[in-house]
Parts: sequence; structure tokens; C-alpha cells
Amino acid sequence: MAQQLILTHMKEQSLLAAGLVGLLWTFFLQAQPSSYQNHEQRTARLRNLASANSALARLQSIGKSRGQRDIWLLTLSKGEASKKPALLIAAGIEGAHLAGTEMAIRMAEKILANVSKDSIAKLLETKTLYVVPSVNPDAQEQWSARPRYARSENALDYDNDRDGRLNEDPFEDLNGDGLITMVRVEDPSGTFVPSSEEPRILVKADPTKGEVGKYLLLTEGIDNDKDGNFNEDGAGGVHIDKNFTFDYPIFTDGSGDYAASEPETRALLDFLYNSPNIFAVLTFGPANNLSEAPKFDQAKVNRRVITGFTQKDVSAMEQVSKLYNSLGFKEAPSMPQTKGNFAQTAYFHAGRFSFTTPGWWAPKVEAPKDTTKKAEATASATTSTRSTATSTTTPENDEIRFLKWADKEQLTDVFVQWKEIRHPDFPDKKAEVGGIAPYAKLNPPIKYLEETTDKHVKFIASLAMQMPQVEIVNLSTESLGNGLHRVTLKVLNKGLLPTYADIGDRIRWVKKIKTELFLANGQSILAGKKINLRNALAAGESEEYSWLISGSGKVTIQAGCPTAGMATAEVTLR
Amino acid sequence: MTNKTLSTAVLSSIWCIAAFAQQIDPDLTGMRALGTPANPKVKWSWNYYMDYASIMRLSQELAKAHPNLVKIENIGKSTQGRDMIVLAVTDYQTGIPDRKPGFWIDGGIHANELQGTQFAMYTAWYLAENFGKIEFITELLRDRIFYILPSLSPDSREAFLFKPNTPNSSRTGQVPLDDDGDGYIDEDDYDDLDGDGNITMMRRRSPNGRWKEDPNYPGRMIPAKADEKGEYEMLGFEGIDNDGDGRVNEDGPGTYDPNRDWGWNWQPDYIQNGAFYYPGTLVETRNVKNFIYNHRNIAGSQSYHNFGGMFLRGPGAEEDQSFYLPSDIAVYDLIGKQGEKMIPGYNYYVIWKDLYTVYGGAVDWLALARGVFAFSNEINTSYRLFNRRSNESRFQNEEFNEFDKYLLFGDAYVKWKPYKHPQYGEIEIGGNKKNNIRNTPGFMLEEEGHRNMAFTLLHAYHLPKLEITEIKSKRLPGGLTEVTATVINTRAIPTHSAHDLKYKIERPDYITLKNAQVISGMIVEDEDLNITREQKYNPQTIEVPNIPGTLTGTAGGGFGGSGGNYAVKVRWIVRGTAEKYTVEVDSMKGGVVTKTQ
Repeated sequence: MAQQLILTHMKEQSLLAAGLVGLLWTFFLQAQPSSYQNHEQRTARLRNLASANSALARLQSIGKSRGQRDIWLLTLSKGEASKKPALLIAAGIEGAHLAGTEMAIRMAEKILANVSKDSIAKLLETKTLYVVPSVNPDAQEQWSARPRYARSENALDYDNDRDGRLNEDPFEDLNGDGLITMVRVEDPSGTFVPSSEEPRILVKADPTKGEVGKYLLLTEGIDNDKDGNFNEDGAGGVHIDKNFTFDYPIFTDGSGDYAASEPETRALLDFLYNSPNIFAVLTFGPANNLSEAPKFDQAKVNRRVITGFTQKDVSAMEQVSKLYNSLGFKEAPSMPQTKGNFAQTAYFHAGRFSFTTPGWWAPKVEAPKDTTKKAEATASATTSTRSTATSTTTPENDEIRFLKWADKEQLTDVFVQWKEIRHPDFPDKKAEVGGIAPYAKLNPPIKYLEETTDKHVKFIASLAMQMPQVEIVNLSTESLGNGLHRVTLKVLNKGLLPTYADIGDRIRWVKKIKTELFLANGQSILAGKKINLRNALAAGESEEYSWLISGSGKVTIQAGCPTAGMATAEVTLR
Repeated sequence: MTNKTLSTAVLSSIWCIAAFAQQIDPDLTGMRALGTPANPKVKWSWNYYMDYASIMRLSQELAKAHPNLVKIENIGKSTQGRDMIVLAVTDYQTGIPDRKPGFWIDGGIHANELQGTQFAMYTAWYLAENFGKIEFITELLRDRIFYILPSLSPDSREAFLFKPNTPNSSRTGQVPLDDDGDGYIDEDDYDDLDGDGNITMMRRRSPNGRWKEDPNYPGRMIPAKADEKGEYEMLGFEGIDNDGDGRVNEDGPGTYDPNRDWGWNWQPDYIQNGAFYYPGTLVETRNVKNFIYNHRNIAGSQSYHNFGGMFLRGPGAEEDQSFYLPSDIAVYDLIGKQGEKMIPGYNYYVIWKDLYTVYGGAVDWLALARGVFAFSNEINTSYRLFNRRSNESRFQNEEFNEFDKYLLFGDAYVKWKPYKHPQYGEIEIGGNKKNNIRNTPGFMLEEEGHRNMAFTLLHAYHLPKLEITEIKSKRLPGGLTEVTATVINTRAIPTHSAHDLKYKIERPDYITLKNAQVISGMIVEDEDLNITREQKYNPQTIEVPNIPGTLTGTAGGGFGGSGGNYAVKVRWIVRGTAEKYTVEVDSMKGGVVTKTQ
């Protein structure tokens, strides 16, 4: 035990040293870090980025987490950011997803490093990019804490199992490796067996295949409060990506006492609702609606509490998915949206287009295609790359998929080999600690993010080019004599996407297309309204307005909406 | 009544009583009208509506006059920076105040609904002034603590009282919002064209109009019959098109609903009109939520509204029916049905079924997120005009005019008078004053307040009251002793609602054997048949999921079944023996009681 402690300690020191080196690199050379960072390191990195690019970047805090950490917003824009149509990139809402946070910051760095390129210059000229890289910094801090475990909850002190005792049953690092993995206990009442495809991974025994359970599978720790549940009440409170308002899962572990109970949730929602110029949101997190766009379901749209995307919005999302897939993202595993998450709340409640992707996933390692060689290939393969024909008929196991890739890439540190320990709750039984290392599955070594970050920068730049743009066209005036004039024009959406999501027209906080006439002294409107509001304009759609105006001189017309920009035109009546 | 005559009246009555007070306490004489103190320490007039300054003054006077009964807690500031205060009323000399079963009262979340604030203050005053005089009140304050928030929307209350309003405006808070989506904020509010402090109606004499005056009550507008010619067209509430967009009064302050801002089944504005960004967008509701989460002893609540004469329970939405479980409904039924007798004309109703659907309302949040037994009274009903049920709707009812004529002498309506309107030309302005219809007239205010308070005190009476009825010990072989304790709850509300138990909202109740070396502990499920359930972890403190109330255990019995016993029994096996054993029951919503054998 003492030896293990020393080892852990040494690891910590070397990690600390690595962190310091990383910090220095960032500071002096603007180089990217070699590992995922903690809040302090990220804060320094963002500050440096903003101060080195003060003409285009601004860093501000939109609130503090329960643990009093700033939730940073980096605004990239040339000119007045809030006056231009915008995209919001949000990451680190699910605290265990460090890759999203890293990618979001990297995207900002890459964009600022490439302002001389036409596409990037145009992006920052015409649009605003908001980046909130870490919405849940309290949870993400567990990456650099010991023991390390993939944490989703913020720093609220919360009695998760509501037994009246606070944080009485946390994880315990039983094998002293600084990581929280799993415990398997040989027990006749266990329901798990090693996967026939990948014996390091345990799966539920399938009685239809004649399998009989062999192991209990538990998280790494002791049942401190002897309630039969392991590690159900450790430090930490609310899983922020379960705390948003749409389809909020009440009475679910980690969802909090009520929707938007947490300062992190409110900070992000306040920012979104108070920024009507945000056209679309891109969330990096463990859900994917970009690789495959959602399907239209009339029944879900017709209900009072709607749970389906409208037909128009599904069309637009299909268009964006096509763009996304054209950048070479392949074989994304299915990652459905989850209850109470930000991505769905941004659409159904805040009325914005909302896209979500993990950004990175373990590429599929193909089994040999030639079935005649299968037996030979299997026989010669190491255990770690073994593949069987059954895998094509059973649903994909994401852990097995991950390990296959990790083995191919010869990654160490992503799997803790099963090793026997003494477990006080199972004194007479064989208990082993092991399993996939915390964070590993969703967060690859940082070098693997390079390529996908480049692709996501391209995606954002291309999406920005498809965004709506309102213009005033066919402006004409006719003089009807005696100082009476008719002014006619068309308000056109010149972009390739609608001016805002169709659902936005149901939502009070989404600004409609406004066409407003400003008169000079002595002029008056005899027909037509000073302010005209209408619903979203589809790509290429236009609406004609005309006014009868008495008087002479300059008339100004303004048309548009915050998500598609405001166009201004002038005519002089003679 | 002007302020001056009011204060003269109060002063002269004080003088009268003071002359006798030197000899004998008027409350011990025939001067005491039953149920009401004849010579309260804090004199107050209950027949006018208090403004913010009055609420603060009365609160401070109560806290000063009754330091052992009333304390003021500041729970945060409103949107416009007013202090939000809670009066915490209990017998501070008995028990630990915040560990007694708590009762929450809020008033005026809809600030145009003035009575709630009034009745909340009346309750604080009444409890303090009758402590030591009425046994029921004395016991209530010994056993319970009342947390009384008189004004949940203080900004809008001030706006309603002092700015021109209709009977329905100022339901919103005062956060400035762009209601009509034109990019301009609060640019087209009502306009008090005749400057009388009320927003009444506009009418215009017109050969094309389909309205006429009621022949019985001139001034009351009624639709012309199908075979009649009309005389007037109605032009809506008093106002002008300030922003020239072709609409009148479409963008005033706020326009959202603080009672759609709570954390249970919250839905956005397009599903639930009046909702803001998320539950708790408003600082006022957030202050209350924080207070209630910090006072987990709150087990019952009353949120006063008007009007219609209703005792409302949840759910607000049909799809939440399954969360109101039969044994919880039995408690609501007990109190609600008694209430129907206590306030003639009031009905015990379910919000979604009998009123309308409400998502994100306070009642559901209290009941379903916190496990609190929550009622909301809709104060005032047209029944009370002439003590009979009218066939007409609650907003269009001739009886209001008749009542005004014979009992208010015309004080409820503004007489029509001509006005030259910039957009409509020659019109007339008149109609309901803002306090007509919804807000109880002065002479009835104390009575309606008292009856509503009495209903709420019945509700508070039924909060859990725990009692350790028996501690018995029995020697066992091997130098061991078996100690068994029996705990009952003598009121209708259990320490955990059935819904709370189902979803584990509040922690279990703890029953601890204090002065013994405990080896083993267990819940006794059936003492006679010796059925027990052992608790292996920390047996000194037995965790019982619930201590049920008096409505439990009435099933079975009489028809060959068993039942009829609602006691909770726990047992310990201890080393050695002692002369006296002390047992403590510690329940979050049921309070703390201790007994020594």
C-alpha cells in the first residue's frame, strides 16, 4: 500500500510538471497543450488568446459555477458582435467530455491564427462566433484531481440518495492507481460475463445464448453506508446536462431539484436568451444529431408539449448534416439526445437551430472482410483485436469498439488490467479492479483532436456561409403627384438557410422579421404600416411591402432580424 | 375614507379602550367580540388595502410588540430593489423554532389580487395577538412555526396601488419587456386619459355599435339583443396608440406571470402563456425557492390568490394526475371539504379540472417537488354579494351593479364622461374601478380574511404532531435488554406524503435510543406476530420512511381484514440494562420530540 501511495504521488508530481510545462508553452509560444487542462490552465490560455488578439477576441465571464469558477465566454468578431448574426459553440456541459472543451478552444485558436485566409476573414467580418468552452468547470476539474473519475456533477453539496447523509458513499481507489474504474466480484448471483468478443469487457449474461452470470459488476469503492448501493453519494451535486428545461428528468440521479436550479444552467440560458442574434448552437457533447439529422414526426409536433422537430426545421437540419458529412466524418456511433440536455432545450425552448456532436469518436476498426480467411485471422489475432461474426448481428458495444481502436493505435493507459484486490464488502470472494480508464472512451489523447478540429473549423466556416442574410431589393418609388409617393420594396433572404428556425415563430423571445419605415419631418404615411412583422423567411423567400407617403425628402427603411442581419435602404422623395 | 378621518377613528377607539384598560383587561369583559382581541397591543385597521410602507410598518410593530412571537426575516430583494420579508411567527420560548413543523403562507404573487397580502398580515397579527388568550392559538404556536410572506410581488403591488390600472393589470411583474416584438420596450402602456387612477373602458356612440346601456343600471354595458339596434361600440381599455403601430395598449410593463415560474412541469411561453426563460428566471420566485429549500420543515402551504371562491389543490396539468396519490388526496379532501362549510360560497377544486391548466405553478412545485401539502385559495366570490349562487359568469354579472347601488352607494364604478381622443375622436370613458369585482370591498374584508385564515389554520393544525406514546423494556438472556418504542402522529398530515415516499424527496425520520449500548435495531412491523425488519447499519438510529397521520390505518377491520393501527414501532437490543431509556424522534417535517421512559 505504501508503495502504491508513493507511486501515485510520483505520478502526481510528474503530471504537475507536465502541466507547468504545458502552461509555459502556452504562455510563451502559443502552442497547444499536450494534455487536457484544468480550469486554471484553461483560464490562462483563454486570457492569453484574447489579449493577443484584442481586435477580434473578447473574453468575459457569464457567471460562476457552484464551485465559484468562472464560466468563460470568448467572443470572436470584427466590429460590434451583438449586432451581427451569430453562432454559439458550447462545450463541457457534460463535465466528462474534455475533448469538446479542448476542441472548442482549439477552434478559436485556429480561427484567430488564420484571419488572413479569406473564408475566416469573411466569417469574422459578417458573423459573430461565441465560444463557451467549459460550462461545467467544477466537474471537469476532476480530471486533474485524485482519484480521477469521469465526473458530470458540479460542486453543489447534494444528498444524492436522499438518505439524510451528505456525500457518505464516494468512490474509493481500491487498487491505489489514482483512477476510479470498476470492480468485478466472482459471485454466483452475478449477472455479468466476459464478452466473447472482447474478454476484458464484461457484458450482461444472455440466457438465450446459454450464458450464466459469473460476476457482480460495481464501481470502484466500498458500500460505506451499507445500503446495498455502491458509491451512490459522493462529492458533487448536479449533472448540468440533465438540468435544462426541455424534457427535464425530475427525480433522476444528478438532475437536481428542479430544471435550471444550477447557476451554470442559468448562466448559459441567460446568455442564449439575451442574445437574440444567435442563429444556431453547436454543442460538443455525447450526443449526435449532425451525422444523421432527426426525422420528421408529425404526431410529435402536433402535441401541446411538442417533442419533435418541425418539418421545415428537419429540412434545414438535413441540409446542415449533408454539409457536416461532406467533411469526411464517418461511421459515427449512434448517440441519441438525452433528457434535460442543453442541445434540445436550445431548440425546443429557446427556438434556435441546435446541432450537437461529440466531435471525436473512436474510428471503427474493420474486421477482415474475407470470410474464408476469418478462422485464420481470428486464430492469429491477439486477444485484443479478436473479432467474431456475432458482432455483426448484435448491437455495437461502444467499449469494445473503443478498445479495438486503442489497441490498433497501441495506446497504453486506457485500460486498467483486472487485478485482484481485497474488498471489505466481499471478504471471502475474489474481487478484481479494472476496466476502461476514466475519461478514455470519450477523450482520446489530445493529438487525435487535431484533424477533427480542423474539420470543425471548416464546418463552422461553411455553415456561416450558408446562414441567412436579409437584403432589401427592388426598391422603387412612384410619384403620384401633389406630394404623394408610393414606395415599394422586397425583403429577401439571400442566404441558403431560413432566417431562423421555424419553431422560433412560436417563441416569444425570438425576434421576427421586422421591416420599419423611418420618416423625415413633414412626411406622413397614408397607407401601409410603419412597422411590419412577419414570420421566418425561407432561403430565397421574399415579401413585398409598399407605403403611400405624403411629403418629400429622405425616407429610410430598415429590414431584417438579429439572426439574419439588418439591411438599410434610403430613398429621396421629390 | 380619507387618511385623516381614518386615523381619527382609530385614535378615538384607542382612547375609549385605554380609559378602561387601567382597571381591567377588556378581553376579559363583554367588550371582547368573540374571537377578536378588544385591546390588541398593535392596533390596526383591517378595512383598507395596505401599501408596501404599511406592510413594513405593521411587520415592525408586530415584531416590536411581540418579540417572543414574531421575527422578521429578509429573504432577498425584488426586481426593483424592495426588501422581501417573511414574518416567522411561533412561540420562540418553546422548542427549536426552525425544527417545528412549518407552514408557509404567501400572498400577492399576482399583485392585482390584493387580499392575499392583507390576509397574510391579518394572520400574523391575529396569531400574535391571541397567543395566551385562545388555547388553540397558543398550542398552534407552541407546536408550529408560520412563515408568512405577505407580498411575493412587492414591485407590482406598488404599481397596482399607485399607478393607473385595470382590475387585471399588474398581474405581471415589472421587468421591462418587448411584448409586441417590435424592438421597443413598454412603449404602449395604458393611458389614464381622465387622470382618475383607474384604467376604465372607452365607448363611442355609434349607429353601427352593437352595445347598449343596461336599463336597470345605466352605465353598465350589455350587448344589444339580436332584434335590437345598438347604441355604442366598445373601444377597449383606456388608452391611445402611443407608438403608431395600429394597436392600443399592446406593450406595457412586464407581461409575464410570476406563477408560471416554478420548478415543476415548467413549460415555455408558447405552451404556458406567461412563462419566462426557465423556472426561477424571476428573482422573487428564486428568493422564495431558496427560503423553502433552507426550511425543510415546511410541510403545509397556502398561496393566496383571487378570485372565484375556491380552495385549489393540484395538479395544474392533467398529465400530472398520477403524482397525486390516493392517501394524499384523502388529506386534501378532509381539509377542503371542511373549508366548504367554513367559507360559504367557496368550492374545493382541482386546478386543471375545475379551473384551467397551469404549468409551472407554485402549488405543484410545493406539493410535487417538495412534498408539501399545498392549497391555494381564490379569495372572493360573487356568492358573497347576496349570499347566494348567481347563474351568471364570474366576470359578467349584474349583481355586482346591484350590490354597488345598495351597499357601496356607487363607489365601484366610474361614471361615463366625454373625452376627445386623438385617434377615436369624441368618446366616453367610464366603468369598473380597478378594485371592483376582484378585490373584496372594505366592510367585508376582515370577515373574509378571518374565514380564509381559519381555513389555513385548520390546514396548519393538521401538520404532523408526533408523540412517543410508550417506551418499554424487557430483559433478554445473556445480559441483554430489548427496548421498544411506539410513536404516533396525532394529525392528518403524515411526515412524508405518499408522493414524497415514492420519489424519496425528504430523508427518513430518525428514531434514536439515546443512552444505551445498542447491538441491534429494527422496525417492528407487527408486534403481536413478532415481525421485524433489522437495520444493520447504525442501529442506534432507526430510519423509518414515514410516520403516518390519522387518516392512515383505517382500511381493513370489521370485514374480516385487519388494520386500524397507525403507530410506528421500533426496537433495539442493547447490552446491559438501564433504569431509564430516552428516545428521540427527529423528523424533518414532523419536528423533534423526546421522551424518557
